[in-house]
Amino acid sequence: MKEIDFEHKMAAHCESGTVTALLNHGGLEITEPMIFGIASGIFFGYFESSVFSFPMFIVRNKPGSIRKNIIKRLGVNFYTRSFRSQEKGIEELDSLLAEGRPVATQVDFYYMEYMPEYLRTHMNVHFINVIGKNEKSYLISDSYYKEKAELRTELLHKARFVGGNMAPKGFLFYPVSIPENIDFEKAIRKGIKKAAHDMIKLPVPFVGVKGIRKFAKKVTGWPDLARDIDHLSHEIMKINVFLEDQGTGGAGFRFLYATFLQQAAQKINDAQLEGMSKRMMAIGDDWRNISYFAARIGKNRDLGESRLDELSQMIYMMADKEQEFFTELYKMVK
Amino acid sequence: MKEKEAQINHDVHPLVLYVEKEDGTYGRLETASFLSKNYLDDYFDKVRKWDAELKEKLDKGEISPVYYYMIMLEMGEGDLASRVGISKWKLRRHLKMKAFEKMNLRMLRRYADVFDIPVSNLLHFTVIKEKDQHKLKITYQKATSNPYISVSKIETV
Repeated sequence: MKEIDFEHKMAAHCESGTVTALLNHGGLEITEPMIFGIASGIFFGYFESSVFSFPMFIVRNKPGSIRKNIIKRLGVNFYTRSFRSQEKGIEELDSLLAEGRPVATQVDFYYMEYMPEYLRTHMNVHFINVIGKNEKSYLISDSYYKEKAELRTELLHKARFVGGNMAPKGFLFYPVSIPENIDFEKAIRKGIKKAAHDMIKLPVPFVGVKGIRKFAKKVTGWPDLARDIDHLSHEIMKINVFLEDQGTGGAGFRFLYATFLQQAAQKINDAQLEGMSKRMMAIGDDWRNISYFAARIGKNRDLGESRLDELSQMIYMMADKEQEFFTELYKMVK
Repeated sequence: MKEKEAQINHDVHPLVLYVEKEDGTYGRLETASFLSKNYLDDYFDKVRKWDAELKEKLDKGEISPVYYYMIMLEMGEGDLASRVGISKWKLRRHLKMKAFEKMNLRMLRRYADVFDIPVSNLLHFTVIKEKDQHKLKITYQKATSNPYISVSKIETV
């Protein structure tokens, strides 16, 4: 195995994790929460679409935005490319690895064979760093896996060139240059401003705090969409999965964002942000309670009308809290 | 969330949480999934039940194998259709036996590729009795470069 010297570390989230690891490798000392916050990663959206087997919600901004916002705000230059031809995509990755360059690539999570089977679902926007290769396999640094992992060559090819919604098309990226002097204060304030703006001001009825309210309203109607009580229980328990287990750092990225606010407060010496960080942590704890609650009532099949009403009320409360929080945060950085 | 409350030991599904440390700072903690640790059996029970129910419906010809795999893999109709490269309308017809039985082999193969199974699995299930499951397992091998021909191997564990 030809292996690039690369520090592997688990991360809360795959995209912020790969970007952070690549920048660290390139010599920029920065933490995952800082990358996540500066890139305005925090978000909410409720979706009903035939792309998904059931209504679902997201708790972060659009895949790819973390990298794009980091380029804009830190002035880091990334090489990015996607491919129409599979051969070219394979060739380019291999030649970059041969140069000794770790490369991030977009994959369908389903083919990450080293993960436990029950976790592997078709999800086209997973990001990994590729850090080595031999005749049979690639060496992978995956934010969700404890160690570096080997992945059979044909599986990585499949994962990179699978079809479907948001097909990866072999997309790959790596940092080309990192500026010497970064204006962190400006980057932090811009990152916060955009996140707060998108949470409270977007005129779209299913995103931001409006999305949280939509989720609260719609969840009581989920029994009509489910095949049976077990299916309903499964979908309710997936609330916990979306908030906790799908690479969020806990509480639907709210813990990660609280950590960002604390680190940002120290970096630019802003006591107000420090206070906001504590409040975000408390909001995260409330989301975490919703996760536990959803897991418990799902497991017990305790899914009557009144119980789902209770869940709905808990979610409505989060909309109010986050509206207040992000309105204040927006004023602070305006 | 406090660091102490977040610590879970469970090797199968590790993850990173951001938590409040003893000194009041927030930072990363390598821990594990609360859900996987506590409720995984319940999930597997459900999967077994769905599998049995859907196979019964297959038996009666009420659904097609495409429907079976779509549900078991939790794929949305829109997503599956675009992965296979057909319209949603056509996919919906393939969920019933009436259109499924008119499908040609090439189309069957496109589904099989997306479901990540040998083509033959769309027409055939091999099941090992529960009492023998600790002794035997099924491993697939594509014996030739012909994508339509697969060899199922049953091996002792």
